[in-house]
Amino acid sequence: MKQRFISSVQIILQLALTTVGLTGQSYPGKPQIIRCRSLEKETFSCWWKPGSDGGLPNNYTLFYSKDSEEKIYECPDYLTSGPNSCYFNKNHTNPWTTYIITVMATNEIGSNSSDPQHVDVTSIVQPDAPVNLSLETNTSANMSYLWAKWSPPPLADASFNSHIYHYELRLKPEEKKEWETVSVGMQTHYEVTSLQAGVKYIVQVRCMLDLGEWSEWSSERSIQIPKEQLPPEKPRIIKCRSPEKETFTCWWKPALDGGLSTNYTLLYSKEGEEKVYECPDYKTAGPNSCYFDKKHTSFWTIYNITVRATNEIGSNVSDPHYVDVTYIVQPDPPVNITLELKKSIKRKPYLVLTWSPPPLADVRSGWLTLEYELRLKPEEGEEWETIFVGQQTQYKMFSLNPGKRYIVQIHCKPDHHGLWSEWSPEMYIEIPTDFRVKDMVVWIIVGVLSSLICLIMSWIMIMKGYRMMAFILPPVPGPKIKGIDTHLLETGKSEELLSALGCHGFPPTSDCEELLIEYLEVEDSEDQQLMPSHDTPSKNTKIILKETDSDSGRGSCDSPSLIPVKCRESRGLPSTLQTQDVRAKEKKGGKGSWETPCMASEQKTLSCNSESIKSCTWLAAQLPSKQAAVFAYHSTVEAFKITLNTTNVNTSPVLVGNEENRQLLYPIAETVYDDVEKISEMEYSRTDQATVQVRQNQHNDKSSFLNTKLMDYVEVHKVRQDEEPTLLLKHKENSGKTKKCTVPGTSKEYTKVSTVMDHHILVLLPDQRTQNTPVSQEPAAETSQNPQQSQAEKNTSYSTTAPSDSRRDTSGSDYMDPSSFMPSFK
Amino acid sequence: MSTKGTSLKGLLLVALLVSHMLLTKEGVTSLPICPKGSVNCQLSLEELFDRAVKLSHYIHFLSSEMFDEFDELYAQGRGFIAKAVNSCHTASLTTPEDKEQAQKIHHEDLLNLILGVLRSWNDPLIHLASEVQRIKEAPETILWKAVEIEEQNKRLLEGMEKIVGRVHSGEVENDIYTPWDGLPSLQLADEDSRLFAFYNLLHCLRRDSHKIDNYLKVLKCRLIHDNNC
Repeated sequence: MKQRFISSVQIILQLALTTVGLTGQSYPGKPQIIRCRSLEKETFSCWWKPGSDGGLPNNYTLFYSKDSEEKIYECPDYLTSGPNSCYFNKNHTNPWTTYIITVMATNEIGSNSSDPQHVDVTSIVQPDAPVNLSLETNTSANMSYLWAKWSPPPLADASFNSHIYHYELRLKPEEKKEWETVSVGMQTHYEVTSLQAGVKYIVQVRCMLDLGEWSEWSSERSIQIPKEQLPPEKPRIIKCRSPEKETFTCWWKPALDGGLSTNYTLLYSKEGEEKVYECPDYKTAGPNSCYFDKKHTSFWTIYNITVRATNEIGSNVSDPHYVDVTYIVQPDPPVNITLELKKSIKRKPYLVLTWSPPPLADVRSGWLTLEYELRLKPEEGEEWETIFVGQQTQYKMFSLNPGKRYIVQIHCKPDHHGLWSEWSPEMYIEIPTDFRVKDMVVWIIVGVLSSLICLIMSWIMIMKGYRMMAFILPPVPGPKIKGIDTHLLETGKSEELLSALGCHGFPPTSDCEELLIEYLEVEDSEDQQLMPSHDTPSKNTKIILKETDSDSGRGSCDSPSLIPVKCRESRGLPSTLQTQDVRAKEKKGGKGSWETPCMASEQKTLSCNSESIKSCTWLAAQLPSKQAAVFAYHSTVEAFKITLNTTNVNTSPVLVGNEENRQLLYPIAETVYDDVEKISEMEYSRTDQATVQVRQNQHNDKSSFLNTKLMDYVEVHKVRQDEEPTLLLKHKENSGKTKKCTVPGTSKEYTKVSTVMDHHILVLLPDQRTQNTPVSQEPAAETSQNPQQSQAEKNTSYSTTAPSDSRRDTSGSDYMDPSSFMPSFK
Repeated sequence: MSTKGTSLKGLLLVALLVSHMLLTKEGVTSLPICPKGSVNCQLSLEELFDRAVKLSHYIHFLSSEMFDEFDELYAQGRGFIAKAVNSCHTASLTTPEDKEQAQKIHHEDLLNLILGVLRSWNDPLIHLASEVQRIKEAPETILWKAVEIEEQNKRLLEGMEKIVGRVHSGEVENDIYTPWDGLPSLQLADEDSRLFAFYNLLHCLRRDSHKIDNYLKVLKCRLIHDNNC
């Protein structure tokens, strides 16, 4: 009923509040119950926080109900616990009941209620802090302690003071932050020991009932603990050291002085003496040390040393320290350390280290002997390399890495006993870069470059291998006759020439002829190109007739000078070159066979001048494998036919010049040798054709002339187009005067056929070079290759000649001996 | 027979020749009559001192190592050092105790002192070498060193007598000698006492050997190098 009433009232009030809200005033804000707390489990209080007042004075009402009944009560006591609180006294507090508490704020416009709070009294117990804390210090038997007293928290109702509290005490030195908490128990006083003398302490206490929470810490109390006056602690002897085996010093560590000034006394006794001495010198070695000078230093004696610390309160003595000075020598580090780089004979640098013993150490007397140890490392290195060097005061180091900076240190120690000195200050040395390294680099570069070049070279070689081969191994050059004295030739002194050639006998023997052949250089003429028969390639033959004779009558020159033979009788005898036949015969070999075929083939007697001893002809045969080089010479005057055959036979038969009726065949057994090769066949055929043509003209016109006369030479003086061809034949005496054959250069020789004009007109070129024209006869040269060809040519043409080699050396002028082929035209 | 004999002789001769050549090649020639560093076929004083110093150095090295080994094995925490004070049997010999004294004392007197100390150690070293083998689990190194020191001490004594004979103008005093009566203590039944006896003996040996070494080095520098070592 009442709740309904309240809710209906609230609704009404809220409605009213909304209307008032428009005018700037509103009903109160929602209050909030902050906490409820029981100090002693028998009463409790609740506090709330007021909400917004809504612009109007508010009234706060606390309602509560108990879980056991539905009745709503109002706060029994708003005053005891202060504003905005409600105090429930003992009568209203039931520890077995849960209270439901609500606070309602009310003003003129309306009211607002807090959220309901459930309160269990036993769970909200927290006493107040203890009070009346007082501190005292007390000193007994050199110990300081602190005496703290306090009272339990006061309660509103004095009758409740029978509660029992647990207490905690915490304390700290004033300057520190951390508290030291001590559980006190149920008593209200405590004694703190182990305090630092002369420090101000801060103390607090708090309490707690047997259930609930600790109270707040009580207010701080502080107290100054007075300074203590204690005797010093035990001092400790740290070490003793003798730097030079003559004096020594001992140091000790002072103890806590307890706030009082402390005096230290070093006492010692020596082995074998009962007496106790005091330190002779406290000052020299600094504070807390004792220096024993030479007078007070004995060796091989044990010192029993103690240090006594004394202050007002009392004194304390260190543990005894037994020292035999012999074993405590620790020298100073070595001095005067020098690092020097030297170079050995091999130019490799090495390091020389020198040093001196520490100045204090007297090593000269032998009383102290020092040993040294050095260590070094590259500047960036981590590990030291340590080298024990014994008693010497220098050391050489060889195996140092060039280009590095080294750190070197040395220390020393007495022999047998004692300690190593400190390391000497760091010394730096830079090892220069080794020269050989640079050299190595250079060599490496050189090596790489050269191998590159080699690679390129070999590449080129491979790419152009055959060219290189041709370059390295050029083709065999054509033969050239060298060493002939041209003047001799010019003057026609054959004997001299021959003698110059090393052939002394005259008439020339076969050897001489060989020589002659050897020294004949046969050259082709470019004019041969005119000839139709040149097409046939006879490359292999190269016949050079080299004659320096400026005389036009080259042939005449040759024949009389070299072969002073005149063949006269053969004029009437047509001499035909029947190479084939000859060849055929030749193949048979044999001397005897030579004659007959020669004769048969020629079908005529080859006659030479009786006076002249020699035949007019050489026949040079060539090797079968190589091309046959045939040199033929014709003495054209007799129309004597010289047939040159190229045969496959090794032995070259020489066509014999005939004497008048006798036909002498001079087979020259020519062993095949190089010179023969050089002398290619004298090519008549080419020139022969020209000759032939000339001949033809002559034949047609003046055949009688030709026939009737014996001609040594044919010299064409002029050939004119409009005129009849005129051949001036230079007749040579049959006497065989060789000198006559040389005609001084007054008249020109027309030895070269320039053009063949119409109407059988032959244009001859004057021989400008004054050289003998070697004439080669091709077909003879190429026996194996073109027998048929030559045969065919023979059939068709007048000459037996094979086409000339177009490649022939054109430097030499052609020599024409037209008369030689005369018979064939007949 | 005669031919056989001759051939045998020849063979022997050849063998001798060959062996001689081989030996010569190896550098093993017949010893020179006088040793190196000698004067008039006598070792020079310098050479004598060199050898003596090397020997004394070696002896002290051994005795020092032996003491350290023993100390580590048997004397840890027993406080022997405190008891060892003033108990060396050679303590009665007044020896120089610092550099000044060592330099002041006449070298002949110092040599005599050295001789005295060396002699004083003859007996105890012999006993030490035998008794040390009875120490429980004595390592081989200690045993070996005891024997070695005993031998080397005799050699050093010989050398020192030679030096003293060379240096001394007058007679060699043979009377400097301190008897040692410590043998019973080395044979004590009580292990602690026995070990202490050993400890003390080794400690004294270390000290005296160092003394001798140091004196000899001083003497060498004084007599041979005129105090400019």
